[in-house]
Amino acid sequence: MHGYGIASLIQQVSDEVLRLEEGSLYPALHRLELDGIIDSEWGVSSNNRRAKYYRLTALGRKQLVKEASNWSRLAQAIARVMEMA
Amino acid sequence: MKKFLKRLRRRRQLDRDLEDELRFHLEMKAEETGDASEARRRLGNVTALKEACREMWAFVALESWWMDIRYAFRTLSNNRGFTMVAVAALALGIGVNTAVFSFVKTALSFDPGIERADRVVLVSATDTLGQDELSRSDPDLRNFRSQVKSLVSLAAYRLTPVNWSDNSGLPERYVCVQMSANGFAVIGRQPILGRNFGSEDERADATAVVVLTHRLWQDRYGKDRSIIGRVIRVNEVPRVVIGVMPAGTRFPEDTDLWIPLVSGGVHSGDPGLFGRLADGVTLAAARNEMDTIARRVANKSPDTLKGPIIDLSPVLKMYGLYHARPLLVVVLCAVGFVLLIACANVANLLLARAAVRSREISIRIAIGAGRARIIRQLLVESAVLSFGGGLVGWLLALAGLHWFDASMARFPKPAWFDLSMNTKVFVYLAAISIGTGILFGLAPALQLAKVDVSNAIKNGGHGAAGGMRGRRLSNVLVVFEVTLCVVLLVGAGLMIRSAIKVYGTPIGVNAANVLTMRIELPEAKYPRLDDVISFHKRLKTRIESLPGVEASALTSNLPVYGQMEFTCEVEGVPPTDVGRLPSVGGLVVSRHYFRVMQVRPQRGRVFIDSDEVKGSPGVIVNESFAAKFWPGEDPLGKHLRLVRDQAPRSLLTIIGVIPDIHQDFQDPLTHDPLIYLSYALEPQRSTFIVSRTRVPPTTLVNAFRREVQSLDENLPVYDVRSLEDRITQHHLSIGIFVALFTIFAAIALLLASVGLYGVVAHSVSQRTREIGLRMAVGGTARDIVWLVFGQGLRQVVIGLIIGLIAAFGVTRVLRAVLVDVSPNDPLTFLAVLVVLMLAGTLGCAIPARRAVRVDPVVALRCD
Repeated sequence: MHGYGIASLIQQVSDEVLRLEEGSLYPALHRLELDGIIDSEWGVSSNNRRAKYYRLTALGRKQLVKEASNWSRLAQAIARVMEMA
Repeated sequence: MKKFLKRLRRRRQLDRDLEDELRFHLEMKAEETGDASEARRRLGNVTALKEACREMWAFVALESWWMDIRYAFRTLSNNRGFTMVAVAALALGIGVNTAVFSFVKTALSFDPGIERADRVVLVSATDTLGQDELSRSDPDLRNFRSQVKSLVSLAAYRLTPVNWSDNSGLPERYVCVQMSANGFAVIGRQPILGRNFGSEDERADATAVVVLTHRLWQDRYGKDRSIIGRVIRVNEVPRVVIGVMPAGTRFPEDTDLWIPLVSGGVHSGDPGLFGRLADGVTLAAARNEMDTIARRVANKSPDTLKGPIIDLSPVLKMYGLYHARPLLVVVLCAVGFVLLIACANVANLLLARAAVRSREISIRIAIGAGRARIIRQLLVESAVLSFGGGLVGWLLALAGLHWFDASMARFPKPAWFDLSMNTKVFVYLAAISIGTGILFGLAPALQLAKVDVSNAIKNGGHGAAGGMRGRRLSNVLVVFEVTLCVVLLVGAGLMIRSAIKVYGTPIGVNAANVLTMRIELPEAKYPRLDDVISFHKRLKTRIESLPGVEASALTSNLPVYGQMEFTCEVEGVPPTDVGRLPSVGGLVVSRHYFRVMQVRPQRGRVFIDSDEVKGSPGVIVNESFAAKFWPGEDPLGKHLRLVRDQAPRSLLTIIGVIPDIHQDFQDPLTHDPLIYLSYALEPQRSTFIVSRTRVPPTTLVNAFRREVQSLDENLPVYDVRSLEDRITQHHLSIGIFVALFTIFAAIALLLASVGLYGVVAHSVSQRTREIGLRMAVGGTARDIVWLVFGQGLRQVVIGLIIGLIAAFGVTRVLRAVLVDVSPNDPLTFLAVLVVLMLAGTLGCAIPARRAVRVDPVVALRCD
């Protein structure tokens, strides 16, 4: 998926709750690429433009599972704390 | 790291990719929203974004370094004068250091081709009389050897130069080492061809054998593998070649071949003992054990071994200039001083520039540069300078070593002496280049970074950054330079005084136009002394019939190249300490020796033809001998009696007294009492042939060789050189150190004066307004001159005082090379004082002249 696609997807899926400053996405992507979490190659988009496509690597998938469970634990914890309030 | 380099190579590609990616994003967004500016707004700060990515790729750090370096180059090339002076100073400092380091490294790192050489030790066992008794007695040695546990094995060797002849070329003189069969096991090297000695080769009735060094095998036999089994004549004794050792193995030092040390033979000189320490045994432990055993052996055979003192020393100590290590350290320190002076000098130049640059730096700080960043940038500038200095210095060092090598080319070179720029030297060069860069750059950089921004900008860069603190620092640096310079000058002065004494002391002979060479007549071919005498007689006739030869003679020793020792009874001198007869130095010379050397007798006569009659009782003594044994008496007609092997020989009569000729090669000033025996009385197998020539002596070398070989084609002529050449070489031992110290001191003086000049000149230019003001209110030229001199000379005087005190303490380390000069020689100290004051005056005079010419009107109006 290309950078623009990712940005749009995040917006749509989160029902426009997460509207990130689109620019900040790119340094983040490049950081992930340097760390070997994602991988990239140039391809052609649906409207025939050259675009850079990103894909999770094997390492990235593992990392995702780990971070996701971390996140849900954290989210649950926060939720529980908030319930008390 | 690999990935990083890949990214670095592709960094333009990466930049373009990011660009493309962002453009794609904008285009898509624009299509979606239909508003290009909205798209851009949503994307945010593109430049910051790119910067963030690039920083992630880690180029920013690199690029900023690159920018610093480029900026440094630009500033330095804008200040060409400053750059040239700084680079020249550093190049001198780094150059001499590199050259000297390479020399010292060479002198201390000879590889004798021994396996784990640090475990091999030399063993000496001396009795109370200083004689090596252990190795002289075969049974003792065997007994001893079998008991020692701390050495893997104990071997013996003895150096014996030999004549080498076969039908493959001219006969040669080679360095032969007699070695016990276990010697190669101690060295730990195996032959590359054939075998080395077995214990059967040590028997007196065994077939005589020889093992070659790789060098001999290569040079003389072109690596011919069929050499094994060939018969060669060593001192006219046929020997079978049994092996060739690998390249580089030349134990003990300059060896060409090894022959077995045959037991029970009669030899000249005691063999040296060496062994390999057993695993885990320290030198001290081995020494203890051997001492105990030596005592035990001594009790068993009290006749031969009385109270021996065992000493063990690492074999590496005998190579190169190891014995002169303290002196080499002194030289390294001296040359280090030169580098420190160069650093101080450049630091001073930088401080002076700092005053000018404070405005630039202030502006950079004002618009947001961090101080650390400024310091880094200034240090990069210093590093570029020192790198330039290192580069030029390296060339200087190469040129210097080349020059040294070339001027030494006519002297025989010891095996360890191979000057070359290897990796170690390069590492050293790089290290001192970087080190100096930081050393001279740090203080000025810190100083500048502390600049008071608002003041500096307001004052337009006048006197802000330097300020009092900067000036104080540069004054301290000048004092430091002068101090080091004084110490070096005193050292050089003392050495020069020594050299003058040495070179000024006459040898006592006319060395010009004398050709010298050596031959040794081997016993196997010339068994009787009559054969030796007759050979020499025939050779003399042939040589003297050569055109250009005036006279020819034989001698056992050349001037300044030592002497023989004789034990003798001297008429009228009672035996001194416990019945021991005096041992006196002497030479054996043939009748024309004094004619060749152009020495006329002081009293009596020199040898004449009738003295050649065998057993003539005439003997000649030198002035010192007569003065020592018969002070105030007429020595002519007095008597001497040589004593050999405890048996008195026939009585000798003094027939003449000659002026002192210098023989001692260590002490160039004292004259030993010497006797001159007639060659007919004491014929020698190994002699120097000296000939006075009417043509340049070296033109006769081949003719001489031909004459010798027409008498005996297997007899090598060796060590053929003019006497002048030998004496020059003899003087070199001090000459080299004098030259080194003089060069160091000259560079130091130059740098220190330039440094002083720089500081004074800078302060004059900074004080132009003040000087103008003083003149305007009535200051005279004399006042201004005093002002300038007062400021400059104060540092010189302080430096001089500290330096002279330091030199007073330090010069004692030179004692080993000083000849008849006290390390605290007042004349030298005085001379240094005068030289330095002159240099200081000169350094101040030029700025003072400029100060006097300041036009008050211009000075007060400027800026």
